[in-house]
Amino acid sequence: MTAVATAPVVRTETRSRAHEIWRILRLHAVNPWIFFGIPWIILGAAWAISIIITLIIRAGSGGDVTTEDLENMRYSWAVLSPQWYLVVVGVQAIGLTFSFALGFGATRRDFWVGTSAMFVLVSVMYAVAIATLVQLEIATGGWWLGTHMFDALWYGQSWIVDFYTSFALQLLVLFIGASVTTVYMRWRIPGMLILLFSVIALLLVAIAAVTLSGSWPAVFAWFGSIGIVGVFTVILALAAVSAVVGFFVIRWATPR
Amino acid sequence: MTGTVVRATGLTKRYGSFTAVDAVDFTLEENRIYGLLGRNGAGKTTIMQLLTGQLFANAGSLEVFGREPAEHADVLRRMCFIAESQRYPEDFTPAHVFKSAPWFFENWDATFAEQLVADFRLPVKRRIKKLSRGQLSAVGVIVGLASRAPLTFFDEPYLGLDAVARHIFYDRLLEDYAEHPRTIVLSTHLIDEVANLLEHVILIDQGRILLDSDADEVRGSATTIAGPRAVVESFVADRPVIGREGLGGLASVTIDGRLEQRDRIQAAELGLELAPVSLQQLIVHLTGTDLAGSTEQEAAA
Repeated sequence: MTAVATAPVVRTETRSRAHEIWRILRLHAVNPWIFFGIPWIILGAAWAISIIITLIIRAGSGGDVTTEDLENMRYSWAVLSPQWYLVVVGVQAIGLTFSFALGFGATRRDFWVGTSAMFVLVSVMYAVAIATLVQLEIATGGWWLGTHMFDALWYGQSWIVDFYTSFALQLLVLFIGASVTTVYMRWRIPGMLILLFSVIALLLVAIAAVTLSGSWPAVFAWFGSIGIVGVFTVILALAAVSAVVGFFVIRWATPR
Repeated sequence: MTGTVVRATGLTKRYGSFTAVDAVDFTLEENRIYGLLGRNGAGKTTIMQLLTGQLFANAGSLEVFGREPAEHADVLRRMCFIAESQRYPEDFTPAHVFKSAPWFFENWDATFAEQLVADFRLPVKRRIKKLSRGQLSAVGVIVGLASRAPLTFFDEPYLGLDAVARHIFYDRLLEDYAEHPRTIVLSTHLIDEVANLLEHVILIDQGRILLDSDADEVRGSATTIAGPRAVVESFVADRPVIGREGLGGLASVTIDGRLEQRDRIQAAELGLELAPVSLQQLIVHLTGTDLAGSTEQEAAA
Protein backbone atom coordinates (compact mmCIF):
# COMPACT_ATOMS: atom_id res chain seq x y z
CA MET A 1 0.00 0.00 0.00
CA THR A 2 1.20 3.42 -0.83
CA ALA A 3 1.38 6.13 1.74
CA VAL A 4 1.11 8.95 -0.75
CA ALA A 5 -2.27 9.68 -2.26
CA THR A 6 -2.41 9.26 -6.03
CA ALA A 7 1.11 7.92 -6.21
CA PRO A 8 1.78 7.79 -9.93
CA VAL A 9 2.49 4.34 -11.23
CA VAL A 10 5.97 3.49 -12.36
CA ARG A 11 5.85 4.01 -16.07
CA THR A 12 6.90 0.76 -17.59
CA GLU A 13 5.56 1.35 -21.07
CA THR A 14 8.08 1.75 -23.83
CA ARG A 15 7.68 3.16 -27.30
CA SER A 16 7.83 -0.18 -29.08
CA ARG A 17 5.83 -2.39 -26.68
CA ALA A 18 6.47 -5.60 -28.64
CA HIS A 19 4.59 -7.70 -26.08
CA GLU A 20 1.47 -5.51 -26.27
CA ILE A 21 1.45 -5.72 -30.06
CA TRP A 22 2.25 -9.43 -30.28
CA ARG A 23 -0.68 -10.29 -28.01
CA ILE A 24 -3.04 -8.55 -30.46
CA LEU A 25 -1.81 -10.87 -33.22
CA ARG A 26 -2.37 -13.83 -30.92
CA LEU A 27 -5.85 -12.54 -30.09
CA HIS A 28 -6.72 -12.45 -33.80
CA ALA A 29 -5.35 -15.98 -34.21
CA VAL A 30 -6.79 -17.55 -31.03
CA ASN A 31 -9.68 -18.74 -33.17
CA PRO A 32 -7.67 -19.85 -36.23
CA TRP A 33 -10.77 -20.48 -38.35
CA ILE A 34 -11.31 -16.77 -38.93
CA PHE A 35 -8.05 -15.87 -40.69
CA PHE A 36 -6.81 -19.31 -41.74
CA GLY A 37 -9.50 -21.99 -41.76
CA ILE A 38 -12.46 -20.48 -43.58
CA PRO A 39 -10.50 -18.76 -46.42
CA TRP A 40 -8.88 -22.10 -47.26
CA ILE A 41 -12.22 -23.87 -47.19
CA ILE A 42 -13.59 -21.27 -49.63
CA LEU A 43 -10.55 -21.59 -51.87
CA GLY A 44 -10.70 -25.39 -51.69
CA ALA A 45 -14.38 -25.39 -52.58
CA ALA A 46 -13.74 -23.01 -55.50
CA TRP A 47 -10.98 -25.34 -56.69
CA ALA A 48 -13.28 -28.38 -56.48
CA ILE A 49 -15.98 -26.51 -58.42
CA SER A 50 -13.44 -25.51 -61.09
CA ILE A 51 -12.35 -29.13 -61.46
CA ILE A 52 -15.96 -30.33 -61.69
CA ILE A 53 -16.75 -27.67 -64.32
CA THR A 54 -13.75 -28.83 -66.34
CA LEU A 55 -14.97 -32.43 -66.13
CA ILE A 56 -18.49 -31.39 -67.18
CA ILE A 57 -17.12 -29.45 -70.16
CA ARG A 58 -14.95 -32.40 -71.15
CA ALA A 59 -17.79 -34.91 -70.76
CA GLY A 60 -20.37 -32.69 -72.47
CA SER A 61 -18.22 -32.05 -75.54
CA GLY A 62 -17.76 -35.76 -76.14
CA GLY A 63 -14.05 -35.60 -75.50
CA ASP A 64 -13.09 -33.31 -78.41
CA VAL A 65 -12.49 -30.26 -76.19
CA THR A 66 -8.96 -28.95 -76.47
CA THR A 67 -6.78 -27.38 -73.83
CA GLU A 68 -7.03 -24.21 -75.90
CA ASP A 69 -10.83 -24.21 -75.50
CA LEU A 70 -10.36 -24.35 -71.72
CA GLU A 71 -8.26 -21.19 -71.97
CA ASN A 72 -11.57 -19.35 -71.55
CA MET A 73 -11.49 -20.44 -67.89
CA ARG A 74 -8.85 -17.76 -67.47
CA TYR A 75 -11.80 -15.37 -67.02
CA SER A 76 -12.94 -17.29 -63.93
CA TRP A 77 -12.75 -15.26 -60.72
CA ALA A 78 -12.51 -18.41 -58.61
CA VAL A 79 -8.98 -17.53 -57.46
CA LEU A 80 -10.37 -14.35 -55.86
CA SER A 81 -13.24 -16.09 -54.05
CA PRO A 82 -11.80 -15.77 -50.50
CA GLN A 83 -11.42 -11.98 -50.95
CA TRP A 84 -15.10 -11.27 -50.32
CA TYR A 85 -14.97 -13.17 -47.07
CA LEU A 86 -11.75 -11.40 -46.05
CA VAL A 87 -13.39 -7.97 -46.42
CA VAL A 88 -15.81 -9.17 -43.73
CA VAL A 89 -12.88 -10.39 -41.63
CA GLY A 90 -11.39 -6.87 -41.84
CA VAL A 91 -14.73 -5.38 -40.76
CA GLN A 92 -15.14 -7.78 -37.83
CA ALA A 93 -11.55 -7.29 -36.67
CA ILE A 94 -12.55 -3.72 -35.81
CA GLY A 95 -16.29 -4.03 -35.18
CA LEU A 96 -15.98 -6.90 -32.71
CA THR A 97 -12.39 -7.71 -31.74
CA PHE A 98 -11.55 -4.04 -31.11
CA SER A 99 -14.33 -3.67 -28.51
CA PHE A 100 -13.17 -6.84 -26.85
CA ALA A 101 -9.49 -5.84 -26.81
CA LEU A 102 -10.37 -2.53 -25.14
CA GLY A 103 -12.15 -4.47 -22.39
CA PHE A 104 -8.94 -6.45 -21.94
CA GLY A 105 -6.95 -3.22 -21.53
CA ALA A 106 -5.31 -2.86 -24.94
CA THR A 107 -4.64 0.64 -26.23
CA ARG A 108 -6.10 1.74 -29.54
CA ARG A 109 -2.61 2.33 -30.91
CA ASP A 110 -1.35 -1.12 -29.99
CA PHE A 111 -4.53 -2.69 -31.32
CA TRP A 112 -4.19 -1.03 -34.72
CA VAL A 113 -0.46 -1.75 -35.01
CA GLY A 114 -1.02 -5.38 -34.00
CA THR A 115 -3.97 -5.76 -36.36
CA SER A 116 -1.95 -4.24 -39.22
CA ALA A 117 0.89 -6.66 -38.51
CA MET A 118 -1.64 -9.50 -38.62
CA PHE A 119 -2.93 -8.26 -41.98
CA VAL A 120 0.59 -8.09 -43.42
CA LEU A 121 1.38 -11.58 -42.13
CA VAL A 122 -1.83 -13.04 -43.54
CA SER A 123 -1.29 -11.28 -46.88
CA VAL A 124 2.27 -12.60 -47.20
CA MET A 125 1.03 -16.09 -46.42
CA TYR A 126 -1.72 -15.99 -49.03
CA ALA A 127 0.52 -14.40 -51.62
CA VAL A 128 3.11 -17.15 -51.19
CA ALA A 129 0.41 -19.83 -51.38
CA ILE A 130 -1.39 -18.39 -54.42
CA ALA A 131 1.81 -17.68 -56.35
CA THR A 132 3.01 -21.22 -55.63
CA LEU A 133 -0.34 -22.76 -56.59
CA VAL A 134 -0.22 -20.85 -59.91
CA GLN A 135 3.15 -22.44 -60.66
CA LEU A 136 1.83 -25.84 -59.59
CA GLU A 137 -1.19 -25.49 -61.87
CA ILE A 138 1.03 -24.56 -64.80
CA ALA A 139 3.45 -27.42 -64.06
CA THR A 140 0.64 -30.01 -63.89
CA GLY A 141 -1.07 -28.69 -67.03
CA GLY A 142 -4.08 -27.52 -65.04
CA TRP A 143 -4.19 -30.45 -62.60
CA TRP A 144 -3.88 -32.83 -65.60
CA LEU A 145 -7.23 -31.59 -66.94
CA GLY A 146 -6.40 -28.19 -68.44
CA THR A 147 -8.26 -26.40 -65.62
CA HIS A 148 -7.53 -22.73 -65.08
CA MET A 149 -8.25 -21.62 -61.59
CA PHE A 150 -5.05 -20.09 -60.23
CA ASP A 151 -3.43 -19.49 -63.61
CA ALA A 152 -6.27 -17.08 -64.45
CA LEU A 153 -6.94 -13.37 -64.89
CA TRP A 154 -3.56 -11.59 -64.65
CA TYR A 155 -1.82 -14.49 -62.89
CA GLY A 156 0.80 -16.73 -64.43
CA GLN A 157 3.51 -14.24 -65.47
CA SER A 158 6.06 -15.21 -62.87
CA TRP A 159 6.12 -16.29 -59.23
CA ILE A 160 7.35 -12.93 -58.03
CA VAL A 161 4.75 -10.90 -59.98
CA ASP A 162 1.99 -13.23 -58.80
CA PHE A 163 3.25 -12.89 -55.24
CA TYR A 164 3.43 -9.11 -55.42
CA THR A 165 -0.03 -8.64 -56.96
CA SER A 166 -1.67 -11.12 -54.56
CA PHE A 167 -0.03 -9.44 -51.60
CA ALA A 168 -1.13 -5.95 -52.64
CA LEU A 169 -4.72 -6.99 -53.34
CA GLN A 170 -5.00 -8.98 -50.12
CA LEU A 171 -3.69 -6.10 -48.05
CA LEU A 172 -6.10 -3.64 -49.69
CA VAL A 173 -9.09 -5.93 -49.09
CA LEU A 174 -8.28 -6.29 -45.37
CA PHE A 175 -7.39 -2.64 -44.76
CA ILE A 176 -10.40 -1.25 -46.65
CA GLY A 177 -12.74 -3.38 -44.51
CA ALA A 178 -10.93 -2.40 -41.32
CA SER A 179 -10.42 1.31 -41.96
CA VAL A 180 -13.99 1.92 -43.12
CA THR A 181 -15.11 0.22 -39.90
CA THR A 182 -12.91 2.56 -37.83
CA VAL A 183 -14.95 5.42 -39.31
CA TYR A 184 -18.09 3.70 -38.06
CA MET A 185 -16.57 3.08 -34.62
CA ARG A 186 -15.68 6.73 -34.28
CA TRP A 187 -18.61 8.56 -35.91
CA ARG A 188 -21.23 5.82 -36.23
CA ILE A 189 -23.88 6.14 -38.97
CA PRO A 190 -23.44 9.89 -39.67
CA GLY A 191 -19.73 9.24 -40.29
CA MET A 192 -20.48 6.36 -42.64
CA LEU A 193 -22.96 8.45 -44.66
CA ILE A 194 -20.52 11.34 -44.97
CA LEU A 195 -17.77 8.92 -46.03
CA LEU A 196 -20.04 7.26 -48.60
CA PHE A 197 -21.22 10.53 -50.13
CA SER A 198 -17.69 11.98 -50.10
CA VAL A 199 -16.35 8.98 -51.99
CA ILE A 200 -19.20 9.17 -54.52
CA ALA A 201 -18.72 12.93 -54.94
CA LEU A 202 -14.96 12.48 -55.37
CA LEU A 203 -15.47 9.79 -58.02
CA LEU A 204 -18.01 11.94 -59.89
CA VAL A 205 -15.66 14.93 -59.85
CA ALA A 206 -12.81 12.76 -61.12
CA ILE A 207 -14.96 11.26 -63.89
CA ALA A 208 -16.27 14.72 -64.85
CA ALA A 209 -12.78 16.20 -64.92
CA VAL A 210 -11.38 13.41 -67.09
CA THR A 211 -14.40 13.36 -69.41
CA LEU A 212 -14.64 17.13 -69.88
CA SER A 213 -10.94 17.47 -70.59
CA GLY A 214 -11.21 14.51 -72.97
CA SER A 215 -8.32 12.74 -71.33
CA TRP A 216 -9.73 9.19 -71.07
CA PRO A 217 -7.28 7.92 -73.72
CA ALA A 218 -4.44 9.44 -71.72
CA VAL A 219 -5.70 7.74 -68.53
CA PHE A 220 -5.93 4.35 -70.26
CA ALA A 221 -2.53 4.92 -71.83
CA TRP A 222 -1.08 5.66 -68.41
CA PHE A 223 -2.54 2.47 -66.89
CA GLY A 224 -1.23 0.59 -69.94
CA SER A 225 2.21 2.05 -69.50
CA ILE A 226 2.51 1.17 -65.80
CA GLY A 227 1.46 -2.43 -66.53
CA ILE A 228 0.17 -5.07 -64.13
CA VAL A 229 2.91 -4.40 -61.59
CA GLY A 230 2.24 -0.65 -61.77
CA VAL A 231 -1.51 -1.08 -61.25
CA PHE A 232 -0.91 -3.25 -58.22
CA THR A 233 1.58 -0.73 -56.87
CA VAL A 234 -1.32 1.76 -56.95
CA ILE A 235 -3.41 -0.82 -55.07
CA LEU A 236 -0.64 -1.30 -52.52
CA ALA A 237 -0.44 2.48 -52.07
CA LEU A 238 -4.21 2.60 -51.46
CA ALA A 239 -3.81 -0.12 -48.83
CA ALA A 240 -1.05 1.90 -47.15
CA VAL A 241 -3.24 5.04 -47.17
CA SER A 242 -6.10 3.05 -45.59
CA ALA A 243 -3.73 1.77 -42.93
CA VAL A 244 -2.50 5.26 -42.04
CA VAL A 245 -5.98 6.82 -42.08
CA GLY A 246 -7.31 3.93 -39.96
CA PHE A 247 -4.60 4.55 -37.38
CA PHE A 248 -5.62 8.17 -36.89
CA VAL A 249 -9.34 7.43 -36.92
CA ILE A 250 -9.18 4.58 -34.39
CA ARG A 251 -7.24 6.67 -31.87
CA TRP A 252 -10.53 8.31 -30.84
CA ALA A 253 -12.89 5.45 -31.66
CA THR A 254 -15.19 4.09 -28.96
CA PRO A 255 -16.51 0.54 -28.59
CA ARG A 256 -20.12 -0.30 -29.16
CA MET B 1 -3.08 4.07 4.88
CA THR B 2 -4.47 3.72 1.43
CA GLY B 3 -3.85 5.37 -1.88
CA THR B 4 -6.35 6.94 -4.16
CA VAL B 5 -6.85 4.87 -7.28
CA VAL B 6 -9.37 7.04 -9.09
CA ARG B 7 -9.94 10.76 -8.84
CA ALA B 8 -12.69 12.27 -10.99
CA THR B 9 -13.46 15.97 -10.95
CA GLY B 10 -16.35 17.49 -12.88
CA LEU B 11 -16.39 14.43 -15.12
CA THR B 12 -18.94 14.91 -17.90
CA LYS B 13 -20.02 12.80 -20.86
CA ARG B 14 -22.60 14.03 -23.33
CA TYR B 15 -24.24 12.30 -26.29
CA GLY B 16 -25.59 15.13 -28.37
CA SER B 17 -28.06 16.96 -26.15
CA PHE B 18 -28.27 14.07 -23.67
CA THR B 19 -25.94 14.29 -20.69
CA ALA B 20 -25.13 10.75 -19.56
CA VAL B 21 -22.70 11.80 -16.83
CA ASP B 22 -23.13 15.29 -15.45
CA ALA B 23 -20.09 16.85 -13.76
CA VAL B 24 -19.54 14.13 -11.18
CA ASP B 25 -16.81 14.26 -8.53
CA PHE B 26 -15.68 11.16 -6.72
CA THR B 27 -12.64 9.21 -5.64
CA LEU B 28 -12.01 5.50 -5.31
CA GLU B 29 -9.58 4.38 -2.63
CA GLU B 30 -7.27 1.41 -2.90
CA ASN B 31 -8.47 -2.05 -1.79
CA ARG B 32 -12.12 -1.34 -1.13
CA ILE B 33 -15.33 -2.76 -2.57
CA TYR B 34 -17.52 -0.11 -4.13
CA GLY B 35 -21.11 -0.36 -5.21
CA LEU B 36 -21.95 1.78 -8.21
CA LEU B 37 -25.69 1.75 -7.86
CA GLY B 38 -28.50 3.26 -9.79
CA ARG B 39 -31.41 2.57 -12.07
CA ASN B 40 -31.07 1.40 -15.64
CA GLY B 41 -29.68 4.22 -17.76
CA ALA B 42 -28.46 6.15 -14.72
CA GLY B 43 -24.95 6.42 -16.15
CA LYS B 44 -23.20 3.53 -14.41
CA THR B 45 -21.78 1.90 -17.53
CA THR B 46 -20.75 5.26 -18.97
CA ILE B 47 -18.75 6.03 -15.81
CA MET B 48 -16.99 2.67 -16.01
CA GLN B 49 -16.25 3.17 -19.69
CA LEU B 50 -14.76 6.57 -18.90
CA LEU B 51 -12.66 5.10 -16.10
CA THR B 52 -11.31 2.37 -18.38
CA GLY B 53 -10.48 4.77 -21.20
CA GLN B 54 -13.10 3.31 -23.53
CA LEU B 55 -14.94 6.62 -23.76
CA PHE B 56 -13.56 10.13 -23.84
CA ALA B 57 -15.00 12.69 -21.42
CA ASN B 58 -16.41 15.98 -22.72
CA ALA B 59 -15.32 17.89 -19.64
CA GLY B 60 -13.67 17.45 -16.28
CA SER B 61 -10.53 15.69 -15.27
CA LEU B 62 -9.92 12.05 -14.55
CA GLU B 63 -6.93 10.34 -13.01
CA VAL B 64 -6.69 6.57 -12.72
CA PHE B 65 -3.51 5.35 -11.05
CA GLY B 66 -2.33 8.93 -11.29
CA ARG B 67 -2.92 9.37 -14.99
CA GLU B 68 -5.52 9.92 -17.67
CA PRO B 69 -6.50 6.32 -18.52
CA ALA B 70 -7.20 6.45 -22.27
CA GLU B 71 -4.34 5.15 -24.44
CA HIS B 72 -2.00 4.69 -21.47
CA ALA B 73 -0.93 1.05 -21.49
CA ASP B 74 0.55 1.17 -17.99
CA VAL B 75 -2.80 2.32 -16.54
CA LEU B 76 -4.99 0.07 -18.68
CA ARG B 77 -3.09 -3.10 -17.84
CA ARG B 78 -4.09 -2.64 -14.18
CA MET B 79 -7.78 -2.71 -14.96
CA CYS B 80 -10.32 -5.30 -15.97
CA PHE B 81 -13.73 -4.36 -17.30
CA ILE B 82 -16.03 -6.82 -19.05
CA ALA B 83 -19.17 -4.86 -19.84
CA GLU B 84 -22.58 -6.39 -19.33
CA SER B 85 -23.16 -5.93 -23.09
CA GLN B 86 -19.56 -6.83 -23.96
CA ARG B 87 -18.93 -7.67 -27.61
CA TYR B 88 -16.75 -10.64 -28.40
CA PRO B 89 -14.86 -11.47 -31.60
CA GLU B 90 -16.72 -13.45 -34.25
CA ASP B 91 -17.37 -17.08 -33.27
CA PHE B 92 -15.62 -16.66 -29.92
CA THR B 93 -16.15 -19.23 -27.18
CA PRO B 94 -15.47 -18.86 -23.44
CA ALA B 95 -12.43 -21.11 -24.03
CA HIS B 96 -11.00 -18.46 -26.38
CA VAL B 97 -11.62 -15.76 -23.77
CA PHE B 98 -9.80 -17.66 -21.03
CA LYS B 99 -6.97 -18.65 -23.36
CA SER B 100 -6.23 -15.05 -24.33
CA ALA B 101 -6.82 -13.53 -20.87
CA PRO B 102 -3.33 -14.28 -19.49
CA TRP B 103 -1.74 -12.29 -22.35
CA PHE B 104 -3.56 -9.22 -21.06
CA PHE B 105 -3.72 -9.72 -17.29
CA GLU B 106 -0.36 -10.35 -15.69
CA ASN B 107 -1.93 -11.67 -12.45
CA TRP B 108 -4.21 -14.12 -14.28
CA ASP B 109 -4.77 -17.30 -12.24
CA ALA B 110 -5.62 -20.09 -14.69
CA THR B 111 -6.30 -22.65 -11.95
CA PHE B 112 -8.75 -20.28 -10.28
CA ALA B 113 -10.44 -19.67 -13.64
CA GLU B 114 -10.81 -23.42 -14.24
CA GLN B 115 -12.29 -23.88 -10.81
CA LEU B 116 -14.78 -21.07 -11.46
CA VAL B 117 -15.73 -22.58 -14.83
CA ALA B 118 -16.57 -25.81 -13.00
CA ASP B 119 -18.44 -23.94 -10.25
CA PHE B 120 -20.58 -22.03 -12.72
CA ARG B 121 -20.92 -25.07 -15.01
CA LEU B 122 -20.01 -22.90 -17.95
CA PRO B 123 -19.89 -24.69 -21.32
CA VAL B 124 -16.53 -23.35 -22.53
CA LYS B 125 -16.77 -24.78 -26.04
CA ARG B 126 -20.14 -23.23 -26.80
CA ARG B 127 -20.15 -20.09 -28.91
CA ILE B 128 -20.70 -16.91 -26.87
CA LYS B 129 -23.66 -15.99 -29.10
CA LYS B 130 -25.40 -19.17 -27.99
CA LEU B 131 -24.88 -18.67 -24.24
CA SER B 132 -27.77 -17.81 -21.96
CA ARG B 133 -27.80 -14.46 -20.15
CA GLY B 134 -26.60 -16.11 -16.95
CA GLN B 135 -23.77 -17.96 -18.72
CA LEU B 136 -22.73 -14.71 -20.37
CA SER B 137 -22.63 -13.02 -16.96
CA ALA B 138 -20.54 -15.94 -15.70
CA VAL B 139 -17.91 -15.31 -18.41
CA GLY B 140 -17.55 -11.71 -17.21
CA VAL B 141 -17.48 -12.75 -13.56
CA ILE B 142 -14.79 -15.38 -14.18
CA VAL B 143 -12.59 -12.94 -16.12
CA GLY B 144 -13.09 -10.31 -13.42
CA LEU B 145 -12.18 -12.65 -10.58
CA ALA B 146 -9.31 -14.60 -12.18
CA SER B 147 -7.66 -11.50 -13.68
CA ARG B 148 -6.94 -10.14 -10.18
CA ALA B 149 -6.54 -6.71 -11.72
CA PRO B 150 -5.78 -3.97 -9.16
CA LEU B 151 -8.96 -2.20 -10.32
CA THR B 152 -11.69 -4.64 -11.32
CA PHE B 153 -15.16 -3.72 -12.56
CA PHE B 154 -18.14 -6.04 -12.45
CA ASP B 155 -20.94 -4.72 -14.64
CA GLU B 156 -24.31 -6.17 -13.56
CA PRO B 157 -22.64 -9.46 -12.51
CA TYR B 158 -25.90 -10.91 -11.21
CA LEU B 159 -27.82 -10.55 -14.45
CA GLY B 160 -29.41 -13.92 -15.22
CA LEU B 161 -27.40 -15.83 -12.60
CA ASP B 162 -29.36 -18.46 -10.72
CA ALA B 163 -29.40 -18.58 -6.90
CA VAL B 164 -26.50 -21.04 -6.69
CA ALA B 165 -24.36 -19.04 -9.09
CA ARG B 166 -25.07 -15.81 -7.19
CA HIS B 167 -23.97 -17.50 -4.01
CA ILE B 168 -20.78 -18.79 -5.68
CA PHE B 169 -19.93 -15.32 -6.94
CA TYR B 170 -20.51 -13.83 -3.49
CA ASP B 171 -18.33 -16.43 -1.74
CA ARG B 172 -15.51 -16.49 -4.30
CA LEU B 173 -15.31 -12.72 -4.44
CA LEU B 174 -14.98 -12.36 -0.67
CA GLU B 175 -12.50 -15.25 -0.35
CA ASP B 176 -10.32 -14.01 -3.15
CA TYR B 177 -10.57 -10.40 -2.05
CA ALA B 178 -9.34 -11.39 1.43
CA GLU B 179 -6.31 -13.12 -0.09
CA HIS B 180 -5.65 -10.65 -2.90
CA PRO B 181 -6.94 -7.22 -1.87
CA ARG B 182 -7.79 -4.94 -4.76
CA THR B 183 -10.22 -2.22 -5.66
CA ILE B 184 -13.51 -3.62 -6.85
CA VAL B 185 -16.41 -1.75 -8.38
CA LEU B 186 -19.71 -3.59 -8.57
CA SER B 187 -22.23 -1.92 -10.78
CA THR B 188 -25.76 -3.14 -10.38
CA HIS B 189 -29.40 -2.27 -10.05
CA LEU B 190 -30.02 -5.49 -8.07
CA ILE B 191 -29.04 -3.86 -4.81
CA ASP B 192 -30.20 -6.36 -2.20
CA GLU B 193 -28.08 -9.04 -3.89
CA VAL B 194 -24.83 -7.18 -3.30
CA ALA B 195 -25.71 -5.03 -0.30
CA ASN B 196 -23.64 -7.07 2.15
CA LEU B 197 -20.56 -7.09 -0.09
CA LEU B 198 -20.26 -3.36 -0.33
CA GLU B 199 -17.98 -1.21 1.77
CA HIS B 200 -18.84 2.01 0.03
CA VAL B 201 -21.83 3.10 -1.99
CA ILE B 202 -21.98 5.55 -4.86
CA LEU B 203 -25.55 6.12 -5.95
CA ILE B 204 -26.06 7.67 -9.33
CA ASP B 205 -29.22 8.88 -10.99
CA GLN B 206 -29.65 10.72 -14.27
CA GLY B 207 -25.90 11.18 -14.53
CA ARG B 208 -25.50 12.73 -11.08
CA ILE B 209 -24.24 11.36 -7.80
CA LEU B 210 -27.01 11.29 -5.21
CA LEU B 211 -25.08 9.55 -2.50
CA ASP B 212 -21.40 8.80 -1.91
CA SER B 213 -20.75 7.32 1.49
CA ASP B 214 -19.80 4.34 3.59
CA ALA B 215 -22.21 1.44 3.27
CA ASP B 216 -22.57 1.17 7.06
CA GLU B 217 -23.47 4.82 7.36
CA VAL B 218 -26.01 4.45 4.59
CA ARG B 219 -27.65 1.45 6.22
CA GLY B 220 -28.41 3.32 9.44
CA SER B 221 -29.18 6.62 7.83
CA ALA B 222 -32.93 6.27 7.44
CA THR B 223 -35.84 4.93 9.43
CA THR B 224 -39.37 3.89 8.56
CA ILE B 225 -42.16 4.83 10.96
CA ALA B 226 -45.45 2.99 10.66
CA GLY B 227 -48.75 3.35 12.47
CA PRO B 228 -52.07 5.23 12.35
CA ARG B 229 -51.86 7.97 9.70
CA ALA B 230 -52.61 10.94 11.94
CA VAL B 231 -50.11 9.87 14.60
CA VAL B 232 -47.38 9.16 12.05
CA GLU B 233 -47.94 12.48 10.30
CA SER B 234 -47.69 14.47 13.50
CA PHE B 235 -44.56 12.53 14.54
CA VAL B 236 -42.72 13.23 11.28
CA ALA B 237 -44.06 16.76 10.88
CA ASP B 238 -40.68 18.52 11.17
CA ARG B 239 -38.47 15.71 9.92
CA PRO B 240 -37.05 15.23 6.40
CA VAL B 241 -39.45 12.78 4.79
CA ILE B 242 -38.04 10.81 1.86
CA GLY B 243 -40.85 8.34 1.29
CA ARG B 244 -44.51 7.96 2.07
CA GLU B 245 -46.85 5.02 1.66
CA GLY B 246 -50.35 4.61 2.93
CA LEU B 247 -53.15 2.08 3.12
CA GLY B 248 -56.50 3.13 4.56
CA GLY B 249 -55.94 4.75 7.91
CA LEU B 250 -52.40 3.47 8.18
CA ALA B 251 -49.26 5.17 6.97
CA SER B 252 -45.63 4.23 6.62
CA VAL B 253 -43.23 7.12 6.30
CA THR B 254 -39.49 6.96 5.75
CA ILE B 255 -37.38 9.77 7.14
CA ASP B 256 -33.79 10.65 6.42
CA GLY B 257 -31.52 10.50 9.45
CA ARG B 258 -31.22 8.59 12.68
CA LEU B 259 -33.68 8.87 15.54
CA GLU B 260 -32.42 9.94 18.95
CA GLN B 261 -33.15 7.80 22.00
CA ARG B 262 -35.89 10.14 23.21
CA ASP B 263 -37.52 10.07 19.76
CA ARG B 264 -37.60 6.30 19.92
CA ILE B 265 -39.20 6.36 23.37
CA GLN B 266 -41.74 8.90 22.18
CA ALA B 267 -42.56 6.77 19.14
CA ALA B 268 -43.01 3.71 21.31
CA GLU B 269 -45.36 5.65 23.61
CA LEU B 270 -47.39 6.72 20.59
CA GLY B 271 -47.66 3.09 19.49
CA LEU B 272 -45.59 3.61 16.31
CA GLU B 273 -43.44 0.91 14.79
CA LEU B 274 -39.86 1.69 13.81
CA ALA B 275 -38.00 -0.32 11.21
CA PRO B 276 -34.54 0.02 9.68
CA VAL B 277 -34.41 0.75 5.99
CA SER B 278 -32.50 -1.65 3.74
CA LEU B 279 -30.04 -0.27 1.23
CA GLN B 280 -32.43 -1.18 -1.55
CA GLN B 281 -35.40 0.54 0.09
CA LEU B 282 -33.34 3.62 0.74
CA ILE B 283 -32.20 3.77 -2.85
CA VAL B 284 -35.72 3.28 -4.14
CA HIS B 285 -36.69 6.22 -1.94
CA LEU B 286 -33.81 8.32 -3.19
CA THR B 287 -34.27 7.59 -6.87
CA GLY B 288 -38.01 6.95 -7.01
CA THR B 289 -40.08 9.16 -9.28
CA ASP B 290 -42.26 10.47 -6.44
CA LEU B 291 -39.17 12.19 -5.11
CA ALA B 292 -37.92 13.63 -8.36
CA GLY B 293 -38.45 17.09 -6.90
CA SER B 294 -36.27 16.53 -3.88
CA THR B 295 -33.29 15.23 -5.86
CA GLU B 296 -31.40 18.47 -5.70
CA GLN B 297 -31.72 18.60 -1.95
CA GLU B 298 -30.52 15.01 -1.60
CA ALA B 299 -27.57 15.60 -3.85
CA ALA B 300 -26.48 18.42 -1.61
CA ALA B 301 -26.75 16.24 1.49
